[in-house]
Amino acid sequence: MNYFVIVYYALLIGGSCLAAYFKRREIFLALFSLTLASFVMGIVGGQDALWAVSIAAGLLALAGGTAYAFREFLVIISGTQTAKALRTAPLTASFGMFVIFTYAVLGIFAPVIAPFGEGEVISQSFAPADENMLLGADQLGRDLFSRIVYGARNTVGLALVATMIAFVIGVLLGMVAAVKGGWFDQLMGRIIDVVMSIPGLIFALLLLSIFGTNLIILVIIIGIIYAPRVFRLTRAVAGNVVVMDYIEAASLRGEGMWYLIRKEILPNSTAPLIAEFGLEFCFVFLLVAGLSFLGLGIQPPTADWGSMVRENATLISFGEITPLIPAAAIALLTVSVNFVVDWMLFRSSGLKE
Amino acid sequence: MADDKRVLLKIQGLRIEGYSDEKWIEIVHGVDLTLNRGEVLGLIGESGAGKSTIGLAAMGFARDGCRISAGSVEFDGMELTTTAESDRRVLRGSRIAYVAQSAAASFNPAHKLIDQHTEAPVHYRIRKRMESQEDAMELYGRLRLPNPREIGFRYPHQVSGGQLQRAMTAMAMSCRPDLIIFDEPTTALDVTTQIEVLAAIRDIVDQFDTAAIYITHDLAVVAQMADTIKVLLKGDEVEEADTVTMLDSPKEDYTKTLWAVRSFQRPQKSRPADGAVPIVTVDNVDAAYGQTRVLEDVSFDVHAGMTVAVVGESGSGKSTAARCITGLLPPTKGRILFSGEELPANFRARSKDQLRQAQMIYQMADTALNPKVRISDIIGRPAEFYSGLKGAALKTRVDELLDLIELEPSQFYSRFPPELSGGQKQRIGIARALAAEPSFIICDEVTSALDQLVAEGILRLLDRLQDELNLAYMFITHDLATVRSIADEVVVMKEGRVVEMGPKDVMFTPPHHPYTDLLLSSVPEMDPNWLNTVLEERGVDNIGEAART
Amino acid sequence: MGDVTRIIITRLGLGLLTLLVISVLIFGAVELLPGDIAQAVLGQGATEDNLRALRTELGLDRSAPVRYFDWLSGAIVGDFGLSLLTQSSVTDTIAPRFANTLFLAGYAAVIAVPVAIILGVIVALLRNTLFDRVANVATLTSISSPEFFLGYILILYFSVKTGMFPAIAKLSDDLTFFELLERTFLPALTMVLVVVAHMMRMTRAAIINLLASPYIEMARLKGTPAWKVIARHALPNAWAPIINVVALNLAYLITGVVLVEVVFVYPGIGQLLVDAVTKRDFPVVQACCLIFAATFILLNLAADVGAILTNPRLRHPK
Repeated sequence: MNYFVIVYYALLIGGSCLAAYFKRREIFLALFSLTLASFVMGIVGGQDALWAVSIAAGLLALAGGTAYAFREFLVIISGTQTAKALRTAPLTASFGMFVIFTYAVLGIFAPVIAPFGEGEVISQSFAPADENMLLGADQLGRDLFSRIVYGARNTVGLALVATMIAFVIGVLLGMVAAVKGGWFDQLMGRIIDVVMSIPGLIFALLLLSIFGTNLIILVIIIGIIYAPRVFRLTRAVAGNVVVMDYIEAASLRGEGMWYLIRKEILPNSTAPLIAEFGLEFCFVFLLVAGLSFLGLGIQPPTADWGSMVRENATLISFGEITPLIPAAAIALLTVSVNFVVDWMLFRSSGLKE
Repeated sequence: MADDKRVLLKIQGLRIEGYSDEKWIEIVHGVDLTLNRGEVLGLIGESGAGKSTIGLAAMGFARDGCRISAGSVEFDGMELTTTAESDRRVLRGSRIAYVAQSAAASFNPAHKLIDQHTEAPVHYRIRKRMESQEDAMELYGRLRLPNPREIGFRYPHQVSGGQLQRAMTAMAMSCRPDLIIFDEPTTALDVTTQIEVLAAIRDIVDQFDTAAIYITHDLAVVAQMADTIKVLLKGDEVEEADTVTMLDSPKEDYTKTLWAVRSFQRPQKSRPADGAVPIVTVDNVDAAYGQTRVLEDVSFDVHAGMTVAVVGESGSGKSTAARCITGLLPPTKGRILFSGEELPANFRARSKDQLRQAQMIYQMADTALNPKVRISDIIGRPAEFYSGLKGAALKTRVDELLDLIELEPSQFYSRFPPELSGGQKQRIGIARALAAEPSFIICDEVTSALDQLVAEGILRLLDRLQDELNLAYMFITHDLATVRSIADEVVVMKEGRVVEMGPKDVMFTPPHHPYTDLLLSSVPEMDPNWLNTVLEERGVDNIGEAART
Repeated sequence: MGDVTRIIITRLGLGLLTLLVISVLIFGAVELLPGDIAQAVLGQGATEDNLRALRTELGLDRSAPVRYFDWLSGAIVGDFGLSLLTQSSVTDTIAPRFANTLFLAGYAAVIAVPVAIILGVIVALLRNTLFDRVANVATLTSISSPEFFLGYILILYFSVKTGMFPAIAKLSDDLTFFELLERTFLPALTMVLVVVAHMMRMTRAAIINLLASPYIEMARLKGTPAWKVIARHALPNAWAPIINVVALNLAYLITGVVLVEVVFVYPGIGQLLVDAVTKRDFPVVQACCLIFAATFILLNLAADVGAILTNPRLRHPK
């Protein structure tokens, strides 16, 4: 028993009592079960386990605080309509927006932010962190932090371009299929069924084995693999719009297909399509990272998070967390996008009722 | 206190809130209600009046996202708002039962009808399974279901809508409850089916002396079923009185407007001279969806400045006929003529001018107007598209059209459809049709989604426009009141064929074709004795028989 | 029953057709190779003679359709030809590794499926509570993490720091079943984490959708107790969506296995595929892709057939 343990339990029990007093049932249940769990953890894992819990709680509180502040900031700087929507956004969503914003800044200003060049060898391999190198050096003695910053540009940029390709192809074909219907719709549906019955990663591996790991080819291949998913969603969303009487009215007026798509269908499908863009980006991003991890994506010396994990993987067996940092960077961005998408989907489903 | 023995349900100051947009909003604002044993109370109101929510509250039940925030619900001396949920649950099914609007969705698709029927009585140990099955068959018989001994062993999707609704009434009766809540039980049914279900429900409620709350938006229906009527508007009570008083001398203005609606009737126009070329001719048209034939040898004319009403139940082919005229569904046989000139069967092959001549107004104004397009563009686009108007000329034209449909241009010009009321949206739909300067407009159930008073406004507007612009209308409807008020000619359709057609005055005076007769007599009237009279005329045993033959 | 049989036969036929089209795609993709296989194998410096010799050896002098049918008829009886690199039979290389992969996927599935469905149903019943929200954040995080991230975290804590489980899943023939389970525990757990998250979310959505049906409200209004509403009214209709969720996620396991096998150096077909892709050993790549695609299609087929068989509307036709 020392002060830490006493303060720890005092805070938890005090918090539970306050929650109970103010009849916040769920908070009480959460805090009190944490207290009970802490007894067990304390006995099994000793003081270290309690420290871990406190650190986790502190991190959560920090993330929550950041998210809260960022949301208030967004509410103040945006127009009334957006502000109203943002005010009801859950903290997870504003946390996601904050992270996305940070990544965007990192990617755009990478050369300014990174202290060293992308391929600059400045030290010995696997040199530990010092005042020069925030995170130490990689297997060739390059600054890991700088490479992570550049990685934001390369990995995310590539995923973004591939997602856009998938999106342009998918949305275009999906809209046309929905409007034209008939044989074109049928044919597209069948083709998409076939393409989608090959798992994405496997398809990518097959094509990469043939065309090699050229960056442009990589982007196009990923775009093509994910276009069918976008097609299906667009076809479904546009399909719901096409049955509306205003579409019938417009086509009976003699309007052409492009007018229908641009003026009548697209404005009514933006919400689900934007959400799908986010989801699609997550899939593509994970695929790009996975391929790079397998050594088949972005090739060295270009900095890329997936390959950085692979290159530094040996450090794991020495108990170093270095290879986990780029992996965590990937996970953090994907989680953030998912948080934002989750909120958007919730909003659009709520608005329907 | 002796009086209280008769009181079964007493609701006082009932307030209900619904959760939307992250906050609770009150949707029922303090409603009182008293129901004696064996009585039937009609709850009537437009959509959004809170009828169903009140009906469920009478069972001590609130849907997810709703809560009873204040007031009391006292059922047979038991306060439901404060009782534990487990005690309330025991009442449901055994002493208070519920009949839902859509029987097709409310029966579990995975179980046979009779198994769903016996669930409550077996659960409450009122009857053994076999007894309960026997009882179900007996009830099916009383509700005049065909093959009462076998129908229960079918699955819900194997039984028609009207029969399911009766099976659900039987299920509600399975524990002989003190109170049944009927939530719009006939709204989804055709008129000729509705009458059978109404008769069955009324008989069974009479036979077992069950109290009931009958929820509906249809005045004529509630007049047949209820002893007293309570009128609701947006979660507030308007007035309550016994049925006869309510029909004869309503007190409140709102109720009077509900009753007054059906007064609009314009005189029938004289028939056009023989040999006059009709605007639209449907000539021996057959049509099919895939292999299913939906129209057979349909012919009729629409003359300039006249209104032809096409009447029939769902599945009669009346909307398909409209799709053939507009070219959305090319006929498999026959021709569509416009001012004596044959039109290409498919609308894609028609010229811009041919498309312009025939316009359409839709039933659901919500889906007929693009919610993301400004009113000015919705109305302006046809004018721009057909007449090439631009800039100031286009603006003038849109203002003119808004004036024509009696909406103030400056107020509506730059708004979006979701900001408008149902009636306003329907007017915008009319303006869009007029913007093309057509000579012929198809009106597809244009008033059936609207509240009565608004609907009458639309009918008057359409009538005025017809006179001013010499328009020809094809009015698709299942509502004979609408036909009476606006039609010049009537076409009665059934199962893809024209059963009978002729001028309105002829059509509404006997003798009729047997189907026309059935259709006409099945439409509920605002007379509490209407159902009795009709049943007497038909003979109870063969209600609706003609519909099936 | 005639209806159901017909629908299932149609569906099976369609699946077979899809597989056929995919075999064409897989075979045809290699034909798109700039130059040809011989060129790709021997590289730029190859002489004409060497190229010609290899072409004859591989049978490249015959037309593409002929070679396709040759390849396909071989594949049907389990003969995928010879590896370009080792000259050994592709089938012999793949067979034991495929068995290993199936074992790993099966191991993960046995844990993941019951856990995910039970948790998914619980979360659906507790929707919009704190528990539901925490579960939502947790599953989203898990879904968003690349498999190698989860894998390395597990290695770091369970292997390097505590030494509870081995980091590298080395297999040999003399392992007992429990040793096998222990060796493969971490890779299996990695897949479980991802798949449980996916499945929980899908199960939750399916159950919530089901609980919103009018017949569930009707059952409640008949006074049916809560457990009976679930057991008697929800469950019989929940099979189709649940089967769908399970099949989709098993299919996902099949793909996810590639990355996990590389992380844990597990001798499965995924690792083999990655090696073959790097070394451009086309017969092996084609065989692996066909096997993955076939498994994927089979699972989707199973989902469809399951949904058809449990649909009361189809089981009891009018």
